[in-house]
Amino acid sequence: MNRSRSFSSSLPLALLFVLPLLGSLALMLASAANLGAWVAVFQHPQLWGGLGLSLFTGITATAIAALVALLIAASFFERGKDTTLARGLSAMLAVPHLAFAIGLGFLIMPSGLLTRVIAMLFTGWTSPPPWVTTHDPYGLALIVALAVKESGFLLFVLTNILAREDMRQSFAAQKAAAQALGHGTLSIWLRLFLPQLWAQLVWPLVIVFVYATTVVDVALVLGPTQPPTFADVVWSDINSAHVADAARGAVGAVFLALITGLVIMVAAAVGWVLRPALKLWLTRGPSPLALPLWLGLAKWRGLQLFFGAVLITLVLLSVAQLWPFPQLLPEHFDASAWRQVAEHSAPLVLSLMLAISTSLSALLLLVLWFETLPQTWDRAMMIMSLVMLGLPALLIGLGQYQMFLRFGLTGTGLGLFLAHLMPVVAYMFIMLEGPYRALDPRWRDVSRGLGAGRIGFLTRIKWPMLKAPLLASVAVGFAVSFGQFVPAQLVSAGRFSTLTMEAVTLTSGTNRPLAAAFALLLMLPPLLVFLGAGLFGRARWRAA
Amino acid sequence: MSLVLRDISITLGTKVLVVPFSLAIGKGEIVTLMGPSGSGKSSVLSALAGTLVAPLAVHGAATLDGRDIFGLPAEQRRMGRLFQDDLLFPHMTVGENLLFGMARGQREDRLSAMRAALKEIELEGFEDRPPQTLSGGQRQRISLMRSLLARPAAMLLDEPFSKLDQTLRAQIRRNTFGLLMARGTPTLLVTHDIADAPEAGRVLLITPHGEVKDV
Repeated sequence: MNRSRSFSSSLPLALLFVLPLLGSLALMLASAANLGAWVAVFQHPQLWGGLGLSLFTGITATAIAALVALLIAASFFERGKDTTLARGLSAMLAVPHLAFAIGLGFLIMPSGLLTRVIAMLFTGWTSPPPWVTTHDPYGLALIVALAVKESGFLLFVLTNILAREDMRQSFAAQKAAAQALGHGTLSIWLRLFLPQLWAQLVWPLVIVFVYATTVVDVALVLGPTQPPTFADVVWSDINSAHVADAARGAVGAVFLALITGLVIMVAAAVGWVLRPALKLWLTRGPSPLALPLWLGLAKWRGLQLFFGAVLITLVLLSVAQLWPFPQLLPEHFDASAWRQVAEHSAPLVLSLMLAISTSLSALLLLVLWFETLPQTWDRAMMIMSLVMLGLPALLIGLGQYQMFLRFGLTGTGLGLFLAHLMPVVAYMFIMLEGPYRALDPRWRDVSRGLGAGRIGFLTRIKWPMLKAPLLASVAVGFAVSFGQFVPAQLVSAGRFSTLTMEAVTLTSGTNRPLAAAFALLLMLPPLLVFLGAGLFGRARWRAA
Repeated sequence: MSLVLRDISITLGTKVLVVPFSLAIGKGEIVTLMGPSGSGKSSVLSALAGTLVAPLAVHGAATLDGRDIFGLPAEQRRMGRLFQDDLLFPHMTVGENLLFGMARGQREDRLSAMRAALKEIELEGFEDRPPQTLSGGQRQRISLMRSLLARPAAMLLDEPFSKLDQTLRAQIRRNTFGLLMARGTPTLLVTHDIADAPEAGRVLLITPHGEVKDV
């Protein structure tokens, strides 16, 4: 392939993804060159408290999510029931974080469904207990929401790795060999499988940690308030009408990114220092301890129950008119919240349009990339995608805002589209790169030999064979776009309102049925798209 | 040390794949089990090792040094195994692979046992090498030694020489049998090539109908 053709093939993604990303980062770095703002950040009364909370919630949620995901993946792998897991996982992944957080908040609030069940079954409470369940000072509710949601993501990553035929066969054979050497399943997972999976788990863990430490919308709904997490401190500054506060917010976003980077480097250094001790532990000798399979399966059921309870809470609350404590069901039902939603459907329509247009555009751009550029270019694109997802959304969102402001895109439909497109492209590239490039090139040779041209090969052989990953990536892209908050809020500049923005606003109000209805609206379209992708992506043939 | 099998059969639902047979393997004895592909040879080994996958099921009784093994999980049966593939763990060095199955104890004692084992298989100084840098024959020798260092009460060999080239094959076979006999380990070898069987050992054949006969 000649250079000019490669250049022109890479142009669309370069213009719509790479250059805006690099430009945003450059502008953020430039805005960090403001000594006064740095001084203001360090004088901020909520800096250390907020930062401590951010790190505590981020690290704890990541650790719990990793542990839960590993235990569940191992239990299902040991029992050979990965397909059951895959079906339930798509539903979990489809639910946007914000919608889950709103539902969880309503589930665990003192008058929520959870305390009603406890009152009914055990305590006989007649009024809600005086507990602080959301916005608690230690961020426990935030940790629960992030750990549950992120364990679904890590589980998705793990099951994708373990579902590969080469991995499955290799691990099964290694397990038989290790058992013959006297090792139980727990020892086999810890000493054999985990070290081999580690390289593929590092980036997802980094992404989860950065997300959990810097998330804004979920923290606004469930997180502490006195002080809030540092991400919310920064968010409040950014949205301030005072120029000095906004400058402090910009530097705060850079500072938060640096701190998360520092924590990752410290973790890597600790891992490096502990490496010899870990190596010694690997070869200490056999341990017959078995993996507690029941615990993994119980956790899986627990996750499903959690999601189910959140969904039921939202449905009931969205139609509840009078719901006295401790009754399990509302006394009177009322559809006024849904009528309000129907009367103000613009946010839903806008979110749908954005999700459909960005996921399909990303698909088009990425297929063009894979079809016209050699695989060697993928590395650069993968780095860009990981940068996009591995950096705090606050940092990138603010950079986008500054850049779009210079090009007159802030507050425009094109600006909003681009702000949604960038994370969608990153997620979809990571999902598609492996399956798209892994397709055996001999299929093309065979179809050519049978008289099919390039278009015939693509439409009749290649894309039908890649139907499942293509549709799955579109579903993920749709859900990612649907859940965007920080970039959408900044770039819209008050001229547009998406479903996510409306939902965040509603959670700070008193109209719970309306907030529940919006949370359900946030959940349902991605869920339907995921179900559709699973249904239509299913292979019509079976392997022999 | 002896491995005794009584009325062992393998079934798939109501279908009998291997009809009941009995066998006793004494100290240092190597018995060869032959048969065509799909006759159930490897299933017999998996059943003894405790890794038979449902819906396949084993019936009968098996004792190792008088101890019933069918009630034990795979890792407690003390059945060493060698496969067609060497299955050296790719994230560990040669030395770490050897230490992996060795009983816990003083680190220095374990290290010197590992080095002595490497010397015994003429791979002295290989402990820090990654398995990927070794030849097929070297890898198979390390795999065998890894099993032996775990002090198995019996060995199950599942066509361990089938992927080696002809010249290497005879040498590795000789070394393997020599080591097993010297340690007095009762061994059941599964193969479809009569040339792999030890010259003086007993040979059994599974027929396409699942019957086990002496040949």
